Amino acid sequence: MGNRTFKIFFGFLLLATLGLVVSIYYYNKPHVDVKKSDASYVLTAQNLIDEYRDSESDTNKKYSETVIQVKGKVFEISTLKGNSVITLKEEGRESSIICHMLPEDNKRTLQFKKGDEINVKGICTGYLMDVIMVRCTLVD
Amino acid sequence: MKRIYFIVFALLFYNGINAQEKFLTKEGYVSFFSHSLVEDIKADNNQVLSVIDTVTGKVAIQMLMRSFMFKKALMQEHFNENYVESYKYPKATFSGEISNFSDLNAENDETEIIGTLTLHGEEKEIRTKVQVKIHEEGILLTGDFNVDVADFKIKIPSIVANNIAKTIKVTFELNHKPYK
Repeated sequence: MGNRTFKIFFGFLLLATLGLVVSIYYYNKPHVDVKKSDASYVLTAQNLIDEYRDSESDTNKKYSETVIQVKGKVFEISTLKGNSVITLKEEGRESSIICHMLPEDNKRTLQFKKGDEINVKGICTGYLMDVIMVRCTLVD
Repeated sequence: MKRIYFIVFALLFYNGINAQEKFLTKEGYVSFFSHSLVEDIKADNNQVLSVIDTVTGKVAIQMLMRSFMFKKALMQEHFNENYVESYKYPKATFSGEISNFSDLNAENDETEIIGTLTLHGEEKEIRTKVQVKIHEEGILLTGDFNVDVADFKIKIPSIVANNIAKTIKVTFELNHKPYK
């Protein structure tokens, strides 16, 4: 009898510990690692902007919160609170793609100049006057 | 020196020579903070779009809900999927006016901003103190105000009701530059 009670008690304890571990892990689960993630969509900067301009709501459902990779021409490189921001834009166009880079990419960002064609992978958050991407990283 | 800049700025502005009427930022900062006994939750958005028309003092602000960055991925997920429903309402907007904009200067840089905040499809009038710093390179708006979660019909499940404050503090810092 005593042995059985112990087994049941032990079983409950094991389950409770497991539950706690799982919930702590879930609570602390990390953000998407863009560097290690594959892009769900690979497209050009202008295509992405055109899609947003044609149908903002549908395009947003398709791309926002997903890792995408865009190819475009550097229009401007700036810094914001210590992090690099690359603006991809075609000359003469109004809208751009504003890529807020991961801090690890700051150094690599500096090698580029206006007009260079680059590939950037990041998470799309939507469209205001421009398409916004966060947690971006350069792709060779 | 600041005062001289301001006078120069004001003169240019009132004479209409090279007048810069619109000031803009695409990198404005808005954050919100929720304090509860269980935990503090903070999220930052550094991609806020804001435009000021210096003739009328009107301000238009737009931000993407998904641009709010949380420390914990799970919180960000819950925020977007369950609370503000970003797939349905991807943006929050504010449209309003800075009171007595033309009377502001280096000594007198505090005024009120009154307008409508739209979030989660709900509108709410906001009236709050704002500091307006007009400097040589632009116009900086800073301030904070509180919003009630219930005003925006944001449903918080009872299981986490103790983790999230009923009133959320919103802080903004918008550094506008002349719009070319």
